Amino acid sequence: MKYIPTIGIECHVQLKTKTKLFSEVDNDARGKEPNSCVSPVCYALPGMLPRLNGEAIRLAILAGRAMNCEINPVSRFDRKHYFYPDSPKGFQITQFYQPIIGPGYVELPSGVKIRIEHAHLEGDAGKLTHFDTYSLVDLNRVDTPLIEIVSMPDIHSSKDAHDYCKELWRLMCHAGVTYGDLYNGNMRFDINVSIAPEGAKELGTRAEVKNLNSFKAVERAVEYEIKRQSKLLDAGEKVVQETRGWDDGAGKTTGQRSKEEAKDYRYMPEPDLPPINLSSEFIEEEASKLPLMPSDYRKKFKKIIREDIIEILLDYPELMRKIEELSQSGKESQLTAISNLFVSVLLAEEKSVEYLNDLPSAKDLIELSEMNEKKELSSTATKEVFLRLFDPQMKGRGAKNIAKELGLIQENDLGALEEIVDIVLAKPETKKAQDDFRAGEEKVIGFLVGQVMKESKGKANPSAVQDILRKKLA
Amino acid sequence: MEIKREDILHLASLSNFSLSEDEVTSLGKDLQDIIKYISQLDKLNTDEIEPTYQVFEMENVWREDEILPQDASREELLGLAQEEKEHQIKVPKVL
Repeated sequence: MKYIPTIGIECHVQLKTKTKLFSEVDNDARGKEPNSCVSPVCYALPGMLPRLNGEAIRLAILAGRAMNCEINPVSRFDRKHYFYPDSPKGFQITQFYQPIIGPGYVELPSGVKIRIEHAHLEGDAGKLTHFDTYSLVDLNRVDTPLIEIVSMPDIHSSKDAHDYCKELWRLMCHAGVTYGDLYNGNMRFDINVSIAPEGAKELGTRAEVKNLNSFKAVERAVEYEIKRQSKLLDAGEKVVQETRGWDDGAGKTTGQRSKEEAKDYRYMPEPDLPPINLSSEFIEEEASKLPLMPSDYRKKFKKIIREDIIEILLDYPELMRKIEELSQSGKESQLTAISNLFVSVLLAEEKSVEYLNDLPSAKDLIELSEMNEKKELSSTATKEVFLRLFDPQMKGRGAKNIAKELGLIQENDLGALEEIVDIVLAKPETKKAQDDFRAGEEKVIGFLVGQVMKESKGKANPSAVQDILRKKLA
Repeated sequence: MEIKREDILHLASLSNFSLSEDEVTSLGKDLQDIIKYISQLDKLNTDEIEPTYQVFEMENVWREDEILPQDASREELLGLAQEEKEHQIKVPKVL
């Protein structure tokens, strides 16, 4: 039978605040020892009070607006109770009844719109590592601010699930609310998948697959679930509502503990945190700091930069912002050329990620593409100078100076070129080639151009040289 | 609302408590009394009344995003755990 899949996705985004959501301790545990970024609040020592980080509220406003969401003026925190060693409190502080971010939508590159139900602020849990007979608890991640983004069940294919997660990642990175490092769990996805026979009025029973940390894993887990559930229904069996885990190596999901029901979490208002009540002025002032978003860039550069190039650049907000900066003073042809250099030359470099935080100035990049347009630099030389602009030893000297130092500037001065051509033609060893060419042997022109290039130490513009040679040998 | 023995056992399991038979009985009775007391509110009409989330009438209490020295060191905090291994808290295996 043919089934229609329906998918909803929850996404956890770690916010890049300096301190945690509820205490003034370092939130950046990258490369740090276990339990070195913890406070008595993270440890839930008796009598400790959470102190809300205002920056998390500001970032939540940006994240919300990036998804075209309403920002709720009044929001509150609640306790979600559960017993597990990753949470010394015995509960998670989250926003259950009144979240800060209301409904909105995310538009995929394909034009498909996925509605956002809401998104809320909450503290992350600690990390467990399991061994044979015991588990170890690292609380560095406790109370890292998260926003959990809950989509409506608007997704109906594994491709859209993949594209939605990727677009969310881009939105959050462009909005500057997260480091967006998927490998280190800065964004994690839970997918809810159900299938129903085509034309059915009601949705099928759903299974949830938790803790996916790549777009590819999301896509594969959705595909696997559709197949698994179709097989069950075809055999006349039922899909069980449950939480499943994803095994990336085996490429399949397996059943986990049965999920606690919502009432088992015993949600209650968090008595230690007063409500948030934002004025519309405050919301607008913070929201006005939202930079250009992927959809803005797509619209703006549609006719200048190839679609596939834009989509790659959008994965690197620094590069996209540089192109935007270039668009203030550069010509369209230069934007196209520099975009191509970013994608085909810079991103091919092993070190490209290190370079992203310190890109060459707009002036240098425009100077470079001007030199290329004037044929002062061959395309190979342009690539070479382009890469030197990122070199910590060379950068800041300017494209022209670097090109001169490397002796890469092409000789385009026709008078000067003619002199060199004359010198070469006067040499006895070129005599035979000249005769052959006059006799109709077209390909020896290459040899002569080569001799001129050698005489000019590689600086002559080869196509100009060929023109002069053809004239002189006519 | 009647509190059954299963309710007490369920609540205890959610909090990972093991209770003796006597405790199940006495806690059940206590909880039943608390609910009976609170149930008096059911007689009132609260349709037009805003729920009370907190009683201090404060709002927008938040702080700047600046790292401050903590009162307790990692060693002191880890020292509170029953068992420690490689700067982590060691717990019975959980899955």
